[in-house]
Amino acid sequence: MSLETTLPGATPTPPKASSLRTLIARMVANPLGGVIGAMILIFGISCLLSPHFLTSFNMIIIARALAFIGLVTIGQAVLMILGELDLSVGAIGGLAGVVGGMLMVQMGLNPWLSLGLCLLMGAGCGLLNGLLITQLRLHSLVLTIGMAGVYGGANLVATRGVAITGVPHEISFLGRGLVFGLPVPFLILLVCLTIVAFVMMRTPVGRYIYAIGSNPQAAKMLGIRVNAIRVGAFALAGFLSALAGILMVARLGTAQPSIGDTWVLSPIAAAVIGGVATTGGLGSPVGAVFGAVIIGIIEDIIVLFGISPYWQSIVSGGIVVLAISLDSLARHYLNRDAS
Amino acid sequence: MKKALFLGALLAATPLAAQAAGSSTPLRFVLIPKVVHPWFDKLNTGAHAAADMIAKTTGQKIEIEYRAPQTADVSSQNDIIERAIATHPDGLILDLLDEKGNRATMDEAIEQKIPMTVFDSLPPEGMNITAVGADFCEQGTIAAERLATLIGKKGEVAIMMGVPTAPNHTLRAECEKKVFAKYPEIKVVATGIDNDSIETGQKQASAIMQAHPNLAGWVACDASGPVGIGQAIRESGKAGKVQEVGLDNLNDMLQLIKDGVAESTASSRPEMQGYWAVVSAWQSAMGQKTPKYIDTGIDVITKKSL
Repeated sequence: MSLETTLPGATPTPPKASSLRTLIARMVANPLGGVIGAMILIFGISCLLSPHFLTSFNMIIIARALAFIGLVTIGQAVLMILGELDLSVGAIGGLAGVVGGMLMVQMGLNPWLSLGLCLLMGAGCGLLNGLLITQLRLHSLVLTIGMAGVYGGANLVATRGVAITGVPHEISFLGRGLVFGLPVPFLILLVCLTIVAFVMMRTPVGRYIYAIGSNPQAAKMLGIRVNAIRVGAFALAGFLSALAGILMVARLGTAQPSIGDTWVLSPIAAAVIGGVATTGGLGSPVGAVFGAVIIGIIEDIIVLFGISPYWQSIVSGGIVVLAISLDSLARHYLNRDAS
Repeated sequence: MKKALFLGALLAATPLAAQAAGSSTPLRFVLIPKVVHPWFDKLNTGAHAAADMIAKTTGQKIEIEYRAPQTADVSSQNDIIERAIATHPDGLILDLLDEKGNRATMDEAIEQKIPMTVFDSLPPEGMNITAVGADFCEQGTIAAERLATLIGKKGEVAIMMGVPTAPNHTLRAECEKKVFAKYPEIKVVATGIDNDSIETGQKQASAIMQAHPNLAGWVACDASGPVGIGQAIRESGKAGKVQEVGLDNLNDMLQLIKDGVAESTASSRPEMQGYWAVVSAWQSAMGQKTPKYIDTGIDVITKKSL
């Protein structure tokens, strides 16, 4: 596979045809078209069906909830583009949160220094994952399942399952504060997304990641330092997970050992909805975060619409499958026409 | 006592209840438990029974919206509480996973002037909110004392912890350990973790019984664990040899008692908690003052009392 065909924005020009086909073609041709279209559709339906949806209070709720899962999603999306997966991101986030709590509360360390150390620890956990995978030539899925147990176990050993309370108020605005009416965690997400998206789209490192994800052997032959990039991507995922964990501690005011328990599958689902290929080489972190927005809206409307908790998984899972299927069908429709 | 309390509640709300009679607008309460679980289904049943009773007695219709998190995680629960606040209900009925972790979200409900009642947990410090529930420590103590008596206050025992991060499970385990520590001839030889899963509880209990063939008895810290323990006892053919005092009143637990696998269970009456939580929420919505704490007590269920 040539390098050019895998780069973002390098998708084939849509065929000129009827207006419906043109609309679909434009949406599909834009790597973000499908996911943005689905998001607008779900957003519009939610606005029509629930009077409580389009309120500033509810928008803040959605934005804040998005921030935590969005940060983890960015890291996971980069790994998926690289052709890897990290199932320990939730456990890293949880461990970073409780370590932060211990440093701040039990050891009385400066809160900002504690935050910095936790972020380093998260990056270190990711780095360790990457080194084990590259040096021992292990499959990332298998290794990170094991490491999730290690990090989750370390969390329980450190806390004995009990939340650490008394987190200093200095950091609470990171989780609870609003700036220009927007939740602080959401603004942090936007900053991180902008940086990562810039690296992915505008720098050689980003191009290398797409190249490795498309064909690691070819990338190696081109002289790309495949292992170094892979290790770096795992470190990034660990760093972002730790950031999400620390922000959650600031939000809750306590370091809960259960932080991150739900951060394993949702970021992968978000990335897939956002157009990131599970086989690597395609998609973007921006699309993945839009995928997370869709999941966030679905979770919101499930509560607003009063859907039974026993139906929630079916409804949210069904909508995810529908969104992916529509995207696939649209591409199939265009390809058939083009051929 | 409970009847008297209810009559008092009813009388206190009578003037407003009279106003409410004929009111076509139902009151809407959102009930948010810790997690999707059969114990909370029983509680939900009790909540609906109270809503029916209030409708029949006063004419005030009450809608109960049951919103359970898929996982017992504070941030997931906070998300659901916040989304419920966005719908401006007449009351929130909450089982707090961690009163400190839930505090910021509850502050939002207070800002929006939405009355709250908590059950099976205690409100954050300084919040004037009615709590409905039973004493977790007392529940664990009752179970452990009963087991100690059953085994003649000597022998090896094991404790099945629930979810290590759940404060009520941890508290029960601590209180059970304190009881066993009183008896020098009782030794706690193992503690399992069932994560509130029957299957996990069964696996853990089987392994522990193999490792400790002289085990005399079991206590648990959640509703699912004792069912798993009972199944493990049955499978290993040790019914009657290994004693079990369970916790709560899931149907499977009651069946184990009927079958003679478990001797009894210390149950925290989920239906009654749901019932009184709705009564309290209704009074709060009517602008009435409510008690600080409503203790629904603990039942000891045996084969005889079933």
